Amino acid sequence: MRLKQGPPDLMLFLVVVLLVCIGLIMIFSASAVTSDVKYQDAFFFVKRQLIWAVFGLTAMLVLMKMNYQKLRELGVAGLILALICLVAVLLPGIGMDVKGAVRQIDLGFTSFTPSELTKLCLVFFFASSLSLNYGKIKSFVQGLLPYLVLIGVVCGLIMLQPDLGTALIIAVTAYLMLVMAGARISHMLILALLGVGLVCLAIYLEPYRMVRFIAFLDPWKYASDEGFQTIQSLYAIGSGGLFGMGLGQSRQKFFYLPEQHTDFIFAILGEELGYLGVFVVLTLLFIFAWRGFQIALKAPDIFGSLLAAGITTMITAQASINLGVVSGSLPVTGIPLPFISYGGSSLMFTMAGVGLLLSVSRYTHDR
Amino acid sequence: MKTTGLEIRKRIATLFFIFVVVICLLAGRFFWLQVVRGDELAERALDNRMRDITLKAKRGTIYDRNGRELAISVSTDSVYAVPAQIRKAKKEREVAQKLAEVLQMDEKEIYDRITRQVSFVWIKRQVDLETSRKLRELDLEGIGLLEESRRFYPKGTLASHVLGISGIDNTGLDGVDLYYDQLIGGTDGKIVIEHDAFGREIPEATHRYIPPIDGSSVVLTIDETIQYILERELDKVMEQRQPKAACGIVMDPKTGEILALASRPNFDPNRYNDYPADNRRNFAVHNAYEPGSTMKIVTAAAAMEEDTVKVSDRFHCPGSIKVSNRSISCAGGTSHGSMDFAGVVENSCNVGFINIGLKLGLEKYYRYLNAFGFGQKTGIDLPGEAKGIIVPQSRATQIDLATMSFGQANAVTPIQLIAAASTIANGGTYMKPHLLKQVIAPDGKIKETITPTKVRQVLSKETAKELCLILEGVVKNGSGRNAQIEGYRVAGKTGTAQKIAPGGGYMANEYVASFLGFAPADDPRLVCLIVIDAPKGYPYYGGWVAAPVFREVMADSLRYLGVPRTEISKEESNQKKTVAVPDVINLPLDEAVQTLRKVGLKVEVQGDGNLVWGQVPKANTRVEQNSRVIVYLSPVEEQQGSGQVTLPDLEGKSMKEVARILSQLGLHLSPDGHGLAYKQSPAAGTRVPVGSTIKVSFQPLE
Repeated sequence: MRLKQGPPDLMLFLVVVLLVCIGLIMIFSASAVTSDVKYQDAFFFVKRQLIWAVFGLTAMLVLMKMNYQKLRELGVAGLILALICLVAVLLPGIGMDVKGAVRQIDLGFTSFTPSELTKLCLVFFFASSLSLNYGKIKSFVQGLLPYLVLIGVVCGLIMLQPDLGTALIIAVTAYLMLVMAGARISHMLILALLGVGLVCLAIYLEPYRMVRFIAFLDPWKYASDEGFQTIQSLYAIGSGGLFGMGLGQSRQKFFYLPEQHTDFIFAILGEELGYLGVFVVLTLLFIFAWRGFQIALKAPDIFGSLLAAGITTMITAQASINLGVVSGSLPVTGIPLPFISYGGSSLMFTMAGVGLLLSVSRYTHDR
Repeated sequence: MKTTGLEIRKRIATLFFIFVVVICLLAGRFFWLQVVRGDELAERALDNRMRDITLKAKRGTIYDRNGRELAISVSTDSVYAVPAQIRKAKKEREVAQKLAEVLQMDEKEIYDRITRQVSFVWIKRQVDLETSRKLRELDLEGIGLLEESRRFYPKGTLASHVLGISGIDNTGLDGVDLYYDQLIGGTDGKIVIEHDAFGREIPEATHRYIPPIDGSSVVLTIDETIQYILERELDKVMEQRQPKAACGIVMDPKTGEILALASRPNFDPNRYNDYPADNRRNFAVHNAYEPGSTMKIVTAAAAMEEDTVKVSDRFHCPGSIKVSNRSISCAGGTSHGSMDFAGVVENSCNVGFINIGLKLGLEKYYRYLNAFGFGQKTGIDLPGEAKGIIVPQSRATQIDLATMSFGQANAVTPIQLIAAASTIANGGTYMKPHLLKQVIAPDGKIKETITPTKVRQVLSKETAKELCLILEGVVKNGSGRNAQIEGYRVAGKTGTAQKIAPGGGYMANEYVASFLGFAPADDPRLVCLIVIDAPKGYPYYGGWVAAPVFREVMADSLRYLGVPRTEISKEESNQKKTVAVPDVINLPLDEAVQTLRKVGLKVEVQGDGNLVWGQVPKANTRVEQNSRVIVYLSPVEEQQGSGQVTLPDLEGKSMKEVARILSQLGLHLSPDGHGLAYKQSPAAGTRVPVGSTIKVSFQPLE
């Protein structure tokens, strides 16, 4: 059956472009001081991010133009490539050790984060596979179990880096896709309990996670060590007030707030642009979720629905967790804010994901 | 291709709503952080980023009562720059060049500093007066001077124990500078500048300037001249007698104002680290000691006020008295014979005072001890005042009462003792001793003037007056004759207390010599206490060591204050025909008889021989004219027959005298040192063969 092609979802496209632009501005503002000191170049980070944004935009536009259904076969290949990269990054000589974690592969001119590729490929593969197995998923052993094993393998590999944040995002996204694909609620509830248990175990086994978790419960008590990041983040956000200190006027970016242009960039945004700026970004995020799920509901087939819902879920969940961490509502996990945080691979694959989402939007029909 | 079923669509819609809820929760959370708690967090964040540059307040000046400076704050200027201001005026080159000229610094270095991306930078700290004057005249853009001050005591060691010391950070550490630190110290100001996490200033950082509030100046009751006189005399006695410590206080009995207060050993507060820390101990308020006979004024006052004794009462002193199976003797164990109450005080007769004390009883005695302020702080405005040690009334025995009556058992501080004496001099009203006279605000206005505080009426005016006359007699006729000042009626009391040994009991050869007195006796203007701890050499009596110091201090102070002289009428001076018994021990008989007759005394000789071995009453006792003095002679025949002689007591004799006495006895002298004899071997009373060599040690008295 040939589907009639329509125009892509313009609002979604504009929201994403707007978010990326806000990100570029904020990366410059947040990193100018530190990068000037570190690299004698205030534009060090923003230049790099801009290049990645161009790549991301290209990927997004190319994927948008393509028929997502014709990419089905690519799903398996992509996932296999991603798994190879995940194994490769763990091999000495290939992975780059940054602050005790090996998450990137050095390509010479730039670096590449396999887990970001994996995230997108897994969503694509799940959407594809689950749409073919619709109905079978209600059975635990024949339907659900293979997917759980796959999640376990992927998350396990990522945890070896270690990168709990990304593993968590993948697990949450995959889990929600299983739910949406029609898995039994009873199965999923039991799995949720198991998952919580696993997370608790992960926290319990790794001392630095344990300390972070305790510090999260009372950051003021650990203000000078484990609670430092959270406290400095709250200082920044609080200093912003209603209207903010003005773009570029952040005080906390003067080496007080660590990761000020990556995971904690939203705190600097809150400080400089105030609650007004925060509200605008949250509204854009809401529009993104609304358009994304709208596309999923109007998609012509299960594959399109699950693909659109999966990508929207992945991005929205990651944003929610990041904002929860920055506002001190969740323990520090170390995941970037989609579109806005500095990080090339993350930006590019997220934008590529949006390209797929826009591709689905071109085939929607009102029911 | 399957179209999406209802189940999947339902679940997708549900998930969307969950995300909407999450986004709403986040919006609420950020609203709470930024709008509700925003100000509080912003304040805390700012505190977190602020660094201070403290601006020290200038300490107030300490003046003496006549406005003479005793402690001042010396200001030194430090040069700083505000680079942003210079940049704005575009005068970097000009400023650097001019500064380099005035400060004699490298122009390039200054240029580097004033073009730094900071909001505040020191150019040069603590420049001299000439430089700061030049800079003020130049008035360069963005260049300022900040005053940093340091304490300076212009009079050096003078009144060191009163003034105290100030530390490098310009805070009071001792004395008045510590006691009134809050008043004198002022409040420090600061410049607060926002910094990054590594302590570097943030461009266009927040600045706050909180100016320091200078301290108030204080005017003390101290009179620099009297303080100088007191210290001069203390230094003299320190040099002559090398005591372990000494102190003197001069007080105005009518107001309780301390006019002079000094302790020894001394120190220079400008360089206090060059002295042992012990030198900073202020004997006058920190040390409690057994006062000895000066304390008898309290016993006398209590007994007179309570009518326990009448002035006309007669007393007999057999030389010692038994209290609860313990024998207590008068100094030297010699009898004072029969005398009236004034005689008891004049002769400082222990037996007499014991009798008076026992008659008074514990309850009344303690009432007066308390009323005179013993065992309590006087409240003098100096840090670390001691309370003294009073035997608790509940545990006091008759022996305690007896020993207390003549000044043992209790330990008091010099400031307590002089406050008690002032009470007697001030018609029985106890005035609180104090040092602060006035507080002057930094703008020169008088902030506060301290009025004298009457604490309580201890004695009636009549009793106080009567006691003053009796104490005048001590100086006129008794043990305090060395305190007489020509032209002034002086009242006072001597004290010679044995020092308590560390392990209990009394030390055999260490004494505290003191003199407590006031003048003029009929209308006291000054009260003065001199305490000398462990003077070397002989005599060690208060009347010999402390009274002369008192005399010099009082004579010069009274003259300085212009206190009118009193003409003592001839009649009055002839009325009392008492004389002091001269010391005739160790004199040949004919010489002794001659000496005694010359002052109008009769002689009764006991024993045979040519050398006086003992006398009753002992030397320096006041007796009426024509009284009889018994002299005991060494049995010459026996000495000659056996070829042995009894060694006389040579203590206190000059080397010339010792040589004469020994040669008369046919003995040889082996002297050691010079001055007055203080040790001999063998001891006095030992029988030695004629021709023996006697070792005698001498040490200088003056």
